[in-house]
Amino acid sequence: MKRPLPLITLAVVMLVLAGTAHAQFNTTGTTTLSLTVAAEASLRIDTATTTLGNIGTIFADYTGTTNYTYKIRTGKASGSGAITLKVTSDFGPAGGPSVGTPPSTGDALTYTCSITSPGTACTGSLTASTGSSTSVSTFGADAKSAVGGNTGSVGWNLTNDPQYSTGAYTAVVTFTISAT
Amino acid sequence: MITFTDLECPDYQCKDRRLMRYVLLPIVCALLVRECPGQTGTATQTLSAQIYAAAKLSVPASVTLTVGATKFSTFQGTVTVSYRARTTSTGGGSITAQVSSDFTPAGGPSAAAGALTYTCSGANLGTGCSGTQTASTTLQTPVLTLPASACTGGGGSCSSQDPNSVTLNLSVPDNSTYSTGSYSANLKFVISGT
Repeated sequence: MKRPLPLITLAVVMLVLAGTAHAQFNTTGTTTLSLTVAAEASLRIDTATTTLGNIGTIFADYTGTTNYTYKIRTGKASGSGAITLKVTSDFGPAGGPSVGTPPSTGDALTYTCSITSPGTACTGSLTASTGSSTSVSTFGADAKSAVGGNTGSVGWNLTNDPQYSTGAYTAVVTFTISAT
Repeated sequence: MITFTDLECPDYQCKDRRLMRYVLLPIVCALLVRECPGQTGTATQTLSAQIYAAAKLSVPASVTLTVGATKFSTFQGTVTVSYRARTTSTGGGSITAQVSSDFTPAGGPSAAAGALTYTCSGANLGTGCSGTQTASTTLQTPVLTLPASACTGGGGSCSSQDPNSVTLNLSVPDNSTYSTGSYSANLKFVISGT
């Protein structure tokens, strides 16, 4: 014959059930809010179309500047970040300058970098490529831009080769920012 | 009718027992208004209760704020405050919120700096806060206002919902100045009614 549950057991079970069935109502209540801040980065090109021009000296190189604003937050302990660029669409139409297949040896689209902290600008003059991304800026661990973002710029230099046919030419350069 | 002289009473103790059985017992039974052998009784009792204003609430123990796909947008989350309230015909009530413990550890958002804001929606008894409220570490900010003669549950002049609820839509900006990591803060709600 089964023994009935002790009264104290039933009481405890009822109390537990009562506690789970109804939320606790009081004159005050506290909620813990939690969030996780992750590494992230974004940028905005402020110079939508950069015109490369040559003023003054005959056959002087074409120059221009592209400005951008970036936001970044890298990992506190061992994070890093970078801004790179790549020519994603070479100059067109044909007959003019070309990053991928220049008409003359030594023709190049080169650039220099400038950036405000916490970024570190690329060093010297770099050659843009259609095949691979090249550096614009790097960031160390726990790099944090201003809330509204920080600024940077790329100064372009394109060889003015007499082999270019006259006309207007356009290329597309894509900037990429990343953070870990 | 029974009298003491009608019954035999051989001694002093027997007389006491008759007194107990036929006189005192019916009186006691009548006073107690309980069933007694061969006795009936009725009694009227006036019950009165003083109903006071009362209010209580319940909130989830924790809420996680999440950020959308857009970089450096906003952490968002909701808190549903459940409450039961009864206010007097000349009274009213309120629910307020206050940051009782700011975000920790340091390096992240700060409610003291105004990072935690909220709007109120879906109140089914009373009126939720209007516009965007900035939660404070030093002040209680409005969540809900209860009118006079408000009451939870039962329908009719009271609300049909039990408990009632109001939702807080919380926002914290995802500023690039925050260091990476997990942060938490405590938000305390207080309900009052008169």
